[in-house]
Formats: sequence, C-alpha cells, structure tokens
Amino acid sequence: MLSTKEILKKVRQIEIRTRGLVNHLFSGEYHSVFKGRGMAFSEVREYHFGDDIRNIDWNVTARFGSPFIKVFEEERELTVMLVVDVSGSQNFGSDLRTKQQIAAEVSAVLAFSALKNNDKTGLLLFTDKVEKFIPPKKSKSHSLRIIRELLSFEPEGKKTNIKAALEYLSKTITRRAIVFVISDFEDTGYESIIKSIGKKHDCIAISIVDKREVVLPKLGLISLRDPETDQEIVVDSSNPEFNRFLYERALRKENTLKQLFAAANVDHIKITTEKESYIKSLIGFFKGREKRR
Amino acid sequence: MQLFPDGLTFAYPWVLWFLVLPILLGVWYFLRLRKKLNESVHFPSVHTLANRGRTVRERLHFTPALLRLIALMFIIVALARPQTYMSGQNIFSEGIDITVVLDVSTSMLAEDFKPNRLEAAKSLTDEFVQGRVSDRIGLVIFSRDAYTQCPMTTDYVVLRNLLKDIKSGVLEDGTAIGNAIANGVNRLRESKAKSKIIILLTDGVNNAGEVNPVTAAEIASSFGVRVYTIGVGTRGTAPYPMQTAIGVQYQNVPVEIDEPLLKQIAETTGGKYFRATGNKGLEEIYKEIDKLERSKVEVTSYRAKTEHFYPWVLLALFTVLIEFLLSKTYLRKLP
Repeated sequence: MLSTKEILKKVRQIEIRTRGLVNHLFSGEYHSVFKGRGMAFSEVREYHFGDDIRNIDWNVTARFGSPFIKVFEEERELTVMLVVDVSGSQNFGSDLRTKQQIAAEVSAVLAFSALKNNDKTGLLLFTDKVEKFIPPKKSKSHSLRIIRELLSFEPEGKKTNIKAALEYLSKTITRRAIVFVISDFEDTGYESIIKSIGKKHDCIAISIVDKREVVLPKLGLISLRDPETDQEIVVDSSNPEFNRFLYERALRKENTLKQLFAAANVDHIKITTEKESYIKSLIGFFKGREKRR
Repeated sequence: MQLFPDGLTFAYPWVLWFLVLPILLGVWYFLRLRKKLNESVHFPSVHTLANRGRTVRERLHFTPALLRLIALMFIIVALARPQTYMSGQNIFSEGIDITVVLDVSTSMLAEDFKPNRLEAAKSLTDEFVQGRVSDRIGLVIFSRDAYTQCPMTTDYVVLRNLLKDIKSGVLEDGTAIGNAIANGVNRLRESKAKSKIIILLTDGVNNAGEVNPVTAAEIASSFGVRVYTIGVGTRGTAPYPMQTAIGVQYQNVPVEIDEPLLKQIAETTGGKYFRATGNKGLEEIYKEIDKLERSKVEVTSYRAKTEHFYPWVLLALFTVLIEFLLSKTYLRKLP
C-alpha cells in the first residue's frame, strides 16, 4: 500500500483540492442546509433601528431606560458522521480514481465543510463488519486524520454489510446527527435499519457508481471476478444481449435505491467515479435541499 | 497417413505414461479456476451477472485451454514413436525326404497302446510331421500289399489330412514288410535330397509279399535310403478286440514281432531299430528320429519399421493452430 509519506502527500493534495470547494462553493449552502436545533439566547444589546421589536427585552429596557433587545444565536455544533464502505467492491474504478478514492474525496469535502462550520466529524469504516470507528470531534487535525484513515485503511473483511454498520451507528450515536452513508450499496437487507436511521438522524446516502458497471466496452470475452465473493465468471462483452442485461441491471439497482431512500426519508446523492463529477452532484444536492426548506 | 494403422506399436511405450500429464494439467486448471487464481478483472456483484442465459461464446470460453491439452496429448503420442513392422522370414533349408511306412493290418487294432496301436501311431506321426520344417514327407500304408497313401510333399496340411484318413482293414490282411520297403524306396528313388529315410512301423512278422524284406533293405541301401524300423507292441500278450456273435470280445494275443529281421533291415541300410512298448515309448522314438534327422534350417527374419508419428504431429500442429486462431480472435479473453 502507500507509505506514510505518500499518504500525507495525498491528504495534503485532497485538502488543497477540496479547500476551494469548501470555502467558496459550499460555504453558504452547507451552513444553511444543516441547521441546528433552534435558537439559544446569547446576549442582550442595545436596540438599533430596524431590529425586530418582538425581541425587545422589556426588563432590561426598564432597568436602563433605553431599549435593549435579546440576541439569539443558532445552536450549532452539529455532529457529522461519515459512514464509509471500504469493502472489496469499492475497489473498482475505470477512470482515474476508484470508488474508494472518490469516497475519500467526498468525505474530505464534507469533513472540511463541517470543520469550517464548527461541526464535529466522526468516521465509521465498514465492510461486512465495523472496521474502524472514530468518534466525532472538532479540530483540524481530527479532520485530517479522518482523511488519512480513509486513504490508508486496509480492511480485514471484503464483503459488504450495511446493516451491521448502521446498527452499530444507531447504538453509538444517540444524539441527532448528520449521517452520510457513502457506499456503492452492493448489498441487501439494510432496508429496515436505514428507515430507522432516517427517522432518527438527518441521513444522506451517497451512492457511487462507475460507468463500467453500466456499460462494458465491446472486447469479447472478459473474465470478471467479484472482489468480495471471489466468484469468477466469463462474460461476452460483445454480445448485445449481455450489454442490455448489464444496463438493465444498473437501471434496476438505481431505481431500487431511489425507492428505498425515498421511503426511508433519506436524501440520495448519486456520484460517478468520473473525474470531479462529484462536485457537481454535491452542489446540485445542496441547492436542491436549500430550495426545499 | 493413418493415425492407427494395423499393428501399431510404440518404440518408447513408456512415453505414453506422460499422457497422464495433460489430464493432471486439466485437473490443475480446473482447480485453479475454482480457487480463483486466474487473472481476471475485478467487478462488483458478479453474482447478479451469473443468472442469465449464457451466450455461445461464453459457453466455449475454455475451448482454447482444452485444445492445448489435446495438442499436448497428440505430441506425447508422437513422441512415443508409433511405428509398424513389416516383418517376414526367409527360410533357407536343405530338407530331407522322409517316407513313413505304416502297418495297417488288423493286428494294429490291439489295445496295448491307447486307444490302439494304429491310432497312437497316427497321432504321434502327426506330431512328428508338425515338428518338421521344409522336409518332403510321404506316406505309405501296407498290410498284404503296400500302397502310397500320400506322395512326397511339403504340403503338410494335405499330408496330415491323409494321415487322419488311414483306417485298418481297408487292405487285405497280412504283413508285407518287403513290399512296404520297396514301395517306400520307390517313392524316394527320384529324390535328390541329401538324406533319404524311411520310417517303418510294424507289429508283426513278414508273412506276405513278393519282395523279401532283406532284399528290399539292400535295394534301399543301394539307393542311399536309411530305414528306421520301429517294432510296435508290448512285450508278452496284448488285448485284441475280436468280432464275435455276441459283440466285441477282447482276447489276449501274444505279440509277435520279427525283431531280428527289423534289426537287420536297419543295420543293412544304416538306420536304427527301435522297440516301442507303449505310447510314451513311441513318442520317445519319434523324438529321437527327429533329433537324428535334423535338417539344416536357416531362418533369417527381418523387420522393417515404418514411423507413424507424422500424422500425430500434424494433428498436434493443427490443433495448436486452431487454438491460436480461436484464442486470438473469436475466443479472445481479457485479461
């Protein structure tokens, strides 16, 4: 795998690459999309022209003889949980980066955005079990550590078990949090748990798809192996029927995911492994979510 | 250009053991396939691709591997050097001429030999004939007179058939030893063979015929014919079947063989007299005569090899060619 130096270099690269994104593109959106619970009293100050007269603190005004108003501040400090799939199927990508690397970059963007907005960030890596859990914290070095883990982590398991990961999450994170589940969702059986997570937390599912999962180039026979189950199969990529099958399979999966997330009250972002395309998807998501509010 | 010509043999048959190798390779390949050690592209959720109708090409994807193994088998067979032999024998021999003179008088039906004297003599003569190579053999039978049953021939099949046909009682009863020898000599008279012999089998005393046995022996001697005389009959009495009004009755009849005469005949002609008292004895005598009158036979056998590896190698090359073409075009597999 990568040496420590290389990993740090990569972390740095990702930090730089995502900084612009965090500072400019998401600065407002992130803040407004994820709001705190409510307003908490912060201080009392003198009334200025234009302030809402409903907020005048009459007791203080009576004492000082001039109008004072109460100032509220949004109760911030949200918790952002990044639940990232590091199973074998994530290790696939036909473009520059694998799904795994795209997941790391998206996580970095989210972690830095959270940091900038004073939110705590935690990380949960899973395969067919929970591989790593970093409890939510708020600091720059913590965010960098999260990215480092994402890049360098070598999982023990190969398979995917989203259900186990989400169950673990619902046990450990009891307060309402923003949960990003980043995976290719090559799994089943997590339908009920994601519904309960959707109820309890603000859950956003980020599904990563590679274009080769939808269309294979016509190259004749290709021997494919499932990195999770080690199942091997030889497919005829030149066969139009096979290609149709492949395309329909992808379509079917997308529809299933869409329906599932809609039913679970979970927002869904679809990301492809193509270069930088995730930025567009993320911006689109934030814009759309802002509008809904 | 035959893969399996008649009489195919292998110069190195042990090489064929290597035919196990392709089988082992096949097993190994299969195990690798199951152990997922082959090169392949990672692809998520392959199991969802598995349950669909497989295309023709997918079904044939292992064909190149199979063809390679088959080609290897052909090469191994070729390496074992399949060949056929053109084999033959050239026999150079100076044969001798033999006339077997057989007594068929009714006394030969005596059963001191099993089943009787005549049958025992016939079967042992038959064995003797089978043991000879390229000798001309003739057959003379006699009782009151002598007749040629079979002229001198190398066609032993005919000879043996005629020998089988001999029956007692077809001739008038009696024992004309002189006539028999004269007849036998007559058969050998024209012969140009180096060695000429008469084997005379009899069980009685000369009591008929126009020719005196001693005179006949002298004639034989003058023609260079050696006469081996065999007296057939046990010592003392022998059971003899008699046809009576109440069926076949056995009667013990004393055995009378004119041994001095037979000895004299043998001595005059440079032959030898033997006395057979049973089947075993007669067999020994024939063996001894066989040994004494061994003709010089040179048998040179030759074997011409024809190699047959060519079609096998051609087949292997053809298989490899097909494998190559298939694996580079229609059945090309990635990675």
